[in-house]
This record gives sequence, C-alpha cells and structure tokens, in this order.
Amino acid sequence: MKTTGTTRTYSLARSTAGAFFAVTMVATTIGGSVLSATTSAQAETEIPAACADLQAKYPDLKGKTLVNAVNPHTPGYEAIDPNDPTKYIGFDIDLGEAIGDCLGFDLTYKAVTFAALLTTLQAGQADIVISDIYATVDRAKAADFITYLKVFDGVLVAKGNPKGIDGINTSMCGAIAAENTGYVEVPLIEALAAECEKLGKPAPEIQLYENNANCIQAILSGRADTYVNDVNTVDGAVKAYPDKLEKATAVTLPYSVGIAVPRDNVEFRDAIMAALTEIQKSGLQVEMMKKWNLPEDQLETPKLVLAE
Amino acid sequence: MDLFIHYLTQPYLVTGIIYTVLITFFGLIGGGVLGIALAAMQLSRFRALSVFARVYAVIFRGTPLILQMIFCYNALPMIGIKLTALEAASLALALNEAPFIAEIIRANIIAVDRGQVSAGQALGMTPFVTMIRIVVPQAFRTMVPALGNEAVSALKNSSLASVVSVQELTLRSTQLASATFDFFSIFFASGLMYLVLAGSIAVVQIVVEIMLDLDHPDPKARFARLLPWYRAPLPVEADTDEETDETATPLPPASRKAIAPLDRQKRAEAIATSRPAVEIENLTKSYDGRKVLDGLDLTVRLGEVVALLGPSGSGKSTLLRCINRLESWDSGTIRVLGRQLGVDENGLKLSPASIANARAAVGVGMVFQNFNLFGHLSARENIAGPLRWVQKLSPREADRQADELLERVGLTHRADALPRHMSGGQQQRVAIARALAPNPAVLLLDEPTSALDPELVNEVLEVIRRLAVEDGLTMLISTHQISFAKDVADRAIFLADGAVVEQGPAERMLSEPSNPRTRQFLQIMNEDPEHTV
Repeated sequence: MKTTGTTRTYSLARSTAGAFFAVTMVATTIGGSVLSATTSAQAETEIPAACADLQAKYPDLKGKTLVNAVNPHTPGYEAIDPNDPTKYIGFDIDLGEAIGDCLGFDLTYKAVTFAALLTTLQAGQADIVISDIYATVDRAKAADFITYLKVFDGVLVAKGNPKGIDGINTSMCGAIAAENTGYVEVPLIEALAAECEKLGKPAPEIQLYENNANCIQAILSGRADTYVNDVNTVDGAVKAYPDKLEKATAVTLPYSVGIAVPRDNVEFRDAIMAALTEIQKSGLQVEMMKKWNLPEDQLETPKLVLAE
Repeated sequence: MDLFIHYLTQPYLVTGIIYTVLITFFGLIGGGVLGIALAAMQLSRFRALSVFARVYAVIFRGTPLILQMIFCYNALPMIGIKLTALEAASLALALNEAPFIAEIIRANIIAVDRGQVSAGQALGMTPFVTMIRIVVPQAFRTMVPALGNEAVSALKNSSLASVVSVQELTLRSTQLASATFDFFSIFFASGLMYLVLAGSIAVVQIVVEIMLDLDHPDPKARFARLLPWYRAPLPVEADTDEETDETATPLPPASRKAIAPLDRQKRAEAIATSRPAVEIENLTKSYDGRKVLDGLDLTVRLGEVVALLGPSGSGKSTLLRCINRLESWDSGTIRVLGRQLGVDENGLKLSPASIANARAAVGVGMVFQNFNLFGHLSARENIAGPLRWVQKLSPREADRQADELLERVGLTHRADALPRHMSGGQQQRVAIARALAPNPAVLLLDEPTSALDPELVNEVLEVIRRLAVEDGLTMLISTHQISFAKDVADRAIFLADGAVVEQGPAERMLSEPSNPRTRQFLQIMNEDPEHTV
C-alpha cells in the first residue's frame, strides 16, 4: 500500500491582514506550486497492521496536520532535495512521515537553526522535532525525548589529517574544532581543556557555526582543523569533497538520537512512542535506514529520556 | 559558472525573493506607520508622550534585530499571540525600523525653517494644517535619501528572518548549500539577487527624488531627464528673468490718492474718533529672568499707522509677536478689536488650534523680517494656499484673489516663481500680499526691510506706504527707517528696555525728540548710512 505523499502547501494565507492575502495571491501566482515550501514523504512503505489499533486508541491525532521543526542541514537525515528544493528528504523525514501515517496525521516542516529546535517546540510553533537531535538529560529540561538511534560520530579532518587527530581526546589539544551551536560535542571537546593543561598543551579552541555546511566550509577554508559530528554526515562531506576532506576515525558517544515532544502532553508522547515501536517491530525502520545508508547496528529500541 | 547560472534561475531561490520582499515591504510599511507615530509623540507638547517614544527608541534601537525576531516568534506565543513566521518576522522588522524612521522624520521636520511655521501660525493656520501643508511637504523632500538608505538596510535585515524559519532568500540559500555542497555558486547567485533588489530600491528613490524636484516643474521633463540622451533645454529665462536680477522691479502706477500729499490734520482727527484696534495694558514678559517687556501700555486706533523705534533688544519684535499670540507673556492683557487672543471668555488658556482659529477670526496679519515665504510654494500659492486652508475659499476664488494681490504689489509676472528664485524685495512684497489676503484688521510689520539689500528697500517701503494711504490699514511697523517713519506713520513710539520711553506724532517726535535717549538714538541712526536710505 502506498502511503500518502501529496505535497502540502506551506500556506501564507493564514494571516490577518487583507493586504497579506492580496500579496499572497500575487505571490502564489508568480511562484505557483514552487512557493510551497514543504515536502512529501517519499516513503513507499507498508503501514504496520498494529497502526489501526493505535489510531483507534489515539483518535485525536487522526486527520490533524502537525508541524515538525527541522534543521535541514544534515544530508542523509534532513535536507532539502537538490532535485526539488521544495521538499525535504532524509531518514528523519521518512521516519516522521511513517509515524504520521501510522497515527493518521500529516506533517508540515519548519526550518530553523539547530539551537532553535527546542525553543520552537517550547513556544508552540512546532508540535514535534525529528531532526537528528541527541537526547541528553540537559535537553530533556526543554522537551521529552523518545530515542530511536544510537550515536556514532565521525571525526572530519582535512585530507591527510595534518594535525593527527584521532578522536575526542588529547590529540585535539591546540587544535581548532568547528561545531554547531548547541551540539553535544561542544561540551565534550571543552572538557578536554583540563587534560590538555596537565600535558602542558594548549586547550582545543571551538568555533561555533549555525549549520553543518558552515562547519565543513571552516575546514575547507583552513579556519578549523576538525569537525566532530554524526558519522553519516561526516561520510557525506567526505563524499562531496574526496580530495580535500577525510574521516580520521569514528567514535561512539554515550547518547541516543531522539524525537522531541512537548513535556506537557503525555498522551501525545505515548502515541509517538507506540507508533515508533510498531515501526521498528515491523522492520520498517531498518528498511528506511538501509535506504539512507545508515548502519543497521545504529538502531535503538525506543526509550524515554526525561528531565531528572 | 554553469552552476551559478543554474542557481540564479532556480525557481526555489527566485521565489525565496518573494518572502524577502514581503518581509521588507511589511517591515517598512509597519515601521513607517509606527515611525510617524513615534516622531509625532516626540515632537508633541505632551511630555509623557515624548518620554514614551524615547524609551521605545532606546529599547528597540538598542537590542539586536535577531533577538527581536526570536522574541516575536517564540515569546509572544506565551502570552497567547501566535503569529506565523512571516508575520512575526515582519512585526519584528517593523518594530525595529520604527525608531530609525522616526528619527529621520523628526530630523527633517525640525530642519524645516521655523520662520515658515511662524508665518503659518500668523496666518491663522492650526498646528495640524501647518504640519500637513507646510512642514511635511518640505521635510519629505529632504528625507527621501535617508528613507532610501533605510529601505535598503531593511531589505538586508530581512535575511535575519531565516532564524525564525521564514523561507526567504537567505534561508533557502543556506539550505540549498547544505544539501548540495555548492556553497559558492549558491551564495554568489543569492548575493546577485540581493543586489538587484537593492538596485530596484535605488531606482525608486531616484525617480521619487526627480518627481519631487521643485526646480523641474514640467512633469514631462521629470521623467525625460532620466534618459541618458536627454539634454536640458537652454535656460531661456536666465537672461530676461529676474532670477538673478537683484534690482528693483517697478510697482504698478500709483493711484491719485497715493500721490497726493498727506493731510495730516485730517488723518489725526479721523483717528482720534475711531475705535481702538489694539489695546495693551501693563504687558510684562521675561526671558530667563531678563525683562523684555516691562509694564508696557499702548493703544492703537483703527486706521492708525504706528512706527515702533528703538535699539535692538528694546522689545519691538517681542511686542509684535505678542500681539498676535506667536509668543505668550507673563502678565498684562492684549485686546485686538476688543477680543483677547489665547484665552476664552472665562480667561482660560486655549489650545494652539483654538488660538489659530481666533487669530484667523480677529484678523491680525504679520510681515516678518526674513519674509518667511513657504519655500515649496510658488508666489501665487503662498497667497492662495492659506486662503483655501484657513478661510476655506474655493481654489478658483483663492487664485483670483492671489493674482489680484500680486498685481497690486507689481509681481504678476512672478506668480509661478518659487521664493528662492525671487529677489529679497520681491519676496517681501509677496509676503505682504500674503498677509493682506485675509483682509486683516491690523497688520504687524517686523522690521520688513532690515534683511534687504539697500537698493531693494524702497520698493517694499512704497508698497507699505500705499497700504497706509490707499487702504487706511491699521499698521504697527517696527523699523529703523527714520525718514520712512516720518513720512508714513501717524505716531512714532520709542521703546527702550521693554517700555515706552517717548511717543508722539511721528513728524514732530522724529524731528524734535524731547527725551534724551530718543535724541541719542535718532542721532546714531542719522550718522549710520546703513539706516538712512
């Protein structure tokens, strides 16, 4: 059975002023369907049979349109489709659509910076965040997390690894690391300062950027020596610039990737978790991981990460 | 290069422009409306309003736009206002632009010549009419370049809307760069798009500036001038017209009445029996503790011409400005045709708008030392405009009266000229015509020839002389022209330190002053060639 894959329009029309409407009409005429900024899931997958029961159990979600906040700068997880930039594609997108199909709701997407993902959720400007975000206890103060992947990080360096970096360890002393604002790798690298000092070496320096592309550019332009991030992202960058970049090593981080949902809505959280469990049970998640070249052993059984 | 062209024409990026333009447009419109309100508050005579406007400016000018965007998007929902991303970004940009636009407006309004505002007031225009008809048209002309700047800066600032997920050009560029790794082709393409948008604003600005250019009144030429092959027509007028001609222009031939010698005896008798036009009792006014008017008493009767003489600082100008309430005073009363300006029957202070109406009703005209013609209006409009706005005449009737008055002061051929293209003498003649237009009961002339080149003084004095003789107009003239005063005035008054030192029939007093201070003053005047034209 084919899941719904219609393009949903990001409508400007929900606005107050009549002027808004008039201009929107003009804009729509000019832009046509191209203006519609969101996506259709490309998941051509089966809905697990148990989903019918879940839809019966959580009838409120059925037929709704929810907003998924994403930081679409992570090819493989979430990025716009270069062939049709009105769509978002990636594993996270497929997973979100599959959960939506299972529970009977539609998703629209809201592109924000990484650091703004959870604030957008907190402000009620989004209903859910599925955007390769690591479920940490700190972040659980802002949202409840339901995990779905283990975290494997890659260490991206310039071709030939001139600084000899081999992980988040003292090999980074004195090096410059590019990172995204809000990433969990930031405190891990910062924590190296004490060890480096013991060895009489300078602490690593961190440059903060807004998205993956900027971090990768920092290495390409020689401003930074390394960028530690999800291994699939790192592999993608190496594939794009095989002459200039390489992956020094892979590291395991003690985190899981999670879906963030509002803290005050336990029923919604339960529904998402139940749907995710069914999707994993039916083998659908593994199928989608294969599609996006994620190693199978990255899969993690759903568990909650909540504030302490 | 291929990639660059590809992204330049890619509908995804091109339609991102629509969002960029929308945010910029709403930001500027909202900022403009708010800015006008803030500027009005700052210029208002109510202190609370101006304090509020300043506090607003400190907050919204002093915090980064990116924070304001995030605030509008993420914090407003907490108090129940959930705006779409586009609305939130437009609102934040509008809130941020407002104080900048307000300061542009305020600066250009303040820069409009204060004298023109006084002239508007003296003509009985309310503060609102003065603002709309006189100040704003001139201020707008000078604020266009700064507003153009502000529009370009708003366009670029709209890129910050990417932080609140508006699908505008910058957000789309970064997303595309992330997905394709074609960093530079994409950003060069979007950079070029921004350049084109900013260029369009520049074009709009140039067109507006040309359309508002008063020196090119021909509507066809306004646009033709934009074309590179356009050559300005040779200035035909320059040789024949008075634009640069600083010599006197002749008045129409004088009437028989004006030529006939004054029968002073008869005039004095007539004046003695006429009713008082201006009654001043015990007028006192201080500036910063210095007394400018010190218990001054004066009565001027209908048809009387009074010359006010005295050293500078003696209070002549202040006295005239008090008579039509351009200035307030500390104590004493002034009645014009029995009516007090500035207070109602119960003695309560009136609002500026009510004072303006009273001024128009009583009819006190004023001619200023520096002419104070409205700089953006032709000679005819300077006269006809106030007749339409204050006396509510029809445009046709106003124009007819204006042309008639211009003929009287010998300036029919200059009716369409702007003040800055006229000589000082011509300007002052237009100013006199303007003051006469509403048929004032009293005409106040504040050193009407002091700002004129010596060779232009006589044409203005002749106009004033004819008014006295032909119309029997009541006039108070502060002047340094002793011989003119002797010739035209019925009575001369010598002021010093804010009080009347000596007064009497002009001819006698100016020939044989009895007070030593008057004598000394007249002696200095006679020795100084500047004042004895």
